[in-house]
Amino acid sequence: MITAIAWKNVWRNRTRSFTVVAAVTVGVFAGVFSMAAINSSILQRIDAAVNEELSHIQVNNKAFRKSHDIQNVITDYPDVESVLKSTPGVTGVTGRVIVRGIASTATKSTGVEITGIDTDKEKQMFTLSTKLIPGTGSYFEENTKYNTAYIGEKLAKELNIIRYILTDESFSRLEGEGVPGTVCGKLGPLMGERFTSEKKFTKAFESLLEVQENEKYRWKILDAAWNYRQGSRLILSFLDTENNQTGAAFRISGIFRTNNDMFESTSLFVPVNELRRLTGMSEGTFHRVVARLENDDLTDDLSKEIRQKLPDYEVMNWKEIQPDLAMIADFIGQIYAVFMIIILAALAFGIVNTMMMSVLERTRELGMLMAVGMNRRRVFIMIMLESVFLSITGGFAGMAVSEVVIAITGKTGINLMKYSEGMEAIGYSAHLYPTIDLQFFISTTILIVLTGIISSVYPARKALKLNPVEAIRNE
Amino acid sequence: MKVIEIRNLCKIYNSTQIKVHAVNDVTLDFEEGEFATIVGPSGSGKTTLLNLLGGLDNPTSGQILVDGTDLSTLKPSALTDFRMRNIGFVFQSYNLIPVLTAGENVEFIMSLQKVAAKDREERTFELLKAVGLADRANNRPSRLSGGQQQRIAVARALASKPKFVLADEPTANLDTKSAYVLLDIMEQLNKDEKITFIFSTHDPRVVQKARRVITLEDGRVVSDEIKK
Repeated sequence: MITAIAWKNVWRNRTRSFTVVAAVTVGVFAGVFSMAAINSSILQRIDAAVNEELSHIQVNNKAFRKSHDIQNVITDYPDVESVLKSTPGVTGVTGRVIVRGIASTATKSTGVEITGIDTDKEKQMFTLSTKLIPGTGSYFEENTKYNTAYIGEKLAKELNIIRYILTDESFSRLEGEGVPGTVCGKLGPLMGERFTSEKKFTKAFESLLEVQENEKYRWKILDAAWNYRQGSRLILSFLDTENNQTGAAFRISGIFRTNNDMFESTSLFVPVNELRRLTGMSEGTFHRVVARLENDDLTDDLSKEIRQKLPDYEVMNWKEIQPDLAMIADFIGQIYAVFMIIILAALAFGIVNTMMMSVLERTRELGMLMAVGMNRRRVFIMIMLESVFLSITGGFAGMAVSEVVIAITGKTGINLMKYSEGMEAIGYSAHLYPTIDLQFFISTTILIVLTGIISSVYPARKALKLNPVEAIRNE
Repeated sequence: MKVIEIRNLCKIYNSTQIKVHAVNDVTLDFEEGEFATIVGPSGSGKTTLLNLLGGLDNPTSGQILVDGTDLSTLKPSALTDFRMRNIGFVFQSYNLIPVLTAGENVEFIMSLQKVAAKDREERTFELLKAVGLADRANNRPSRLSGGQQQRIAVARALASKPKFVLADEPTANLDTKSAYVLLDIMEQLNKDEKITFIFSTHDPRVVQKARRVITLEDGRVVSDEIKK
């Protein structure tokens, strides 16, 4: 019956209880949803790092990472591959040849890291092939006598391979996407003009549009004017095994788009045999062997195990290669803790305040309960249950709202295109898909209940200090 | 059979520099089934004596024995338990639990005593019937008149089958008709259940019904009259 009384007491002052429940709901929702958004951002970054850039584990010639000297190769690739493949948890192994060089077009040149890959294996093991921008070609699928390269959009922009031209087709597309005719009309003078960089094009159309129009339609205009001529070429130059300058023209097989500007602007992939032939490297030699694992949780243990098995090589996992990313991944726990401390502290103060009011309002009633034989333990439990019910109601409502919003935005995504330049510059996607695991919900529920219990202590102690005689006399 | 024995009971308040003898050397006995009232002017010590009898306050000196148990020897938790099992309370302001129905208010103390649900329901119905409110079992106190609430309070006080019921000014907030109805019910329950009733009151209607009238003045018993 004490439980029933406690529950009924919670709803005795409905306005006050609903206010507290609403505050807790909003607080929990804000915390959980923010956490889900941060979580998704970090997970997406880790996912991209592992699936597009680094893989879980890398095995290098011990001197290679420091010097990037073409001579520092793994000569016994079959042995290394066999060790990796025989390690339980490893799902894929492939070798890479890596040289640093210069990529040039007629108008621009820039430093790049050229990675020679087994295109079929890489397609099976990684997701970079799926990042191909539609209409830019393919992932090494064209049957051609030319050398081919798969390059990042950012690099293509830097080399002026991607240009911006407003054509009839661009205007039709803009109209189709709901850009008003007045805006299209203002852009008319730019029709057919060729801009070699995004910056120049942006400057040109910004001067024609109002600030609001510019803010609203900037991305649509950039997308509509984005122009790439399939089969464009670039020249790659690098040192061969004799340290002689060499190079060749490469036809661009396709252009990929990721969320990591740095990776996109410096990475360029070519078939490993083409690179070996051009550099004069021997058949079967690699600079790096990369291994994919069943899941990321195995990374630490398996990298230790493989390090022991391959003492002559440098074995590193993605956390060691990108410690900043690993730190952020570890940091998520601390971010969670800080978020939860803030939310739960606010929750606790709200509950303590409400329960104190409730106890002070019921002085006479509590005195009567003690007089007729309700002992201190039962009074304490009743007050504690009231505060737990309040917290749980608000907490569950907050989590239910969070679950629904996370489920929706997890599918639709949250578009932060406004901040895309800044976010992609540091490798984070501007399109977030909030996600949170079950464990988070369970731990949050437990913490909310604990907060409810802790918050009840002070008001309950106040209630216990009441003298029944004085409390009953209180009007 | 003696239910309560009071021996040389004193309660002195030292709240100011002057000592106030709220109860001064009171010695009294109450037998099973008594229907007694304590009267006296304001400040004579009626409520203090009732609080001492109910174990809600500690005497400065003297003894209260309930069925042979000296209340002063009980620890606070044991005293709370003792009150729950042996003493029924009726307060001037009814003091029902507003979130519970009339029936649940009556049942409440039995649930603290862990009486089986079926027995609780039977006893509740029986008591509500006795106070004439069986049809209001599902009403919350706010839907009942003052007289009805006090009748529910009487039913609650009797629910645990206590040794005695202490009623502090039970009719003070009631109109004449409600007061008489309440007194008739308490008198009937006193006879039926053989439970001792002790009132503190100013109300001549209560005094008229009581079979024993104890008069206090300045904390002392100045008369103890048993009506024939």
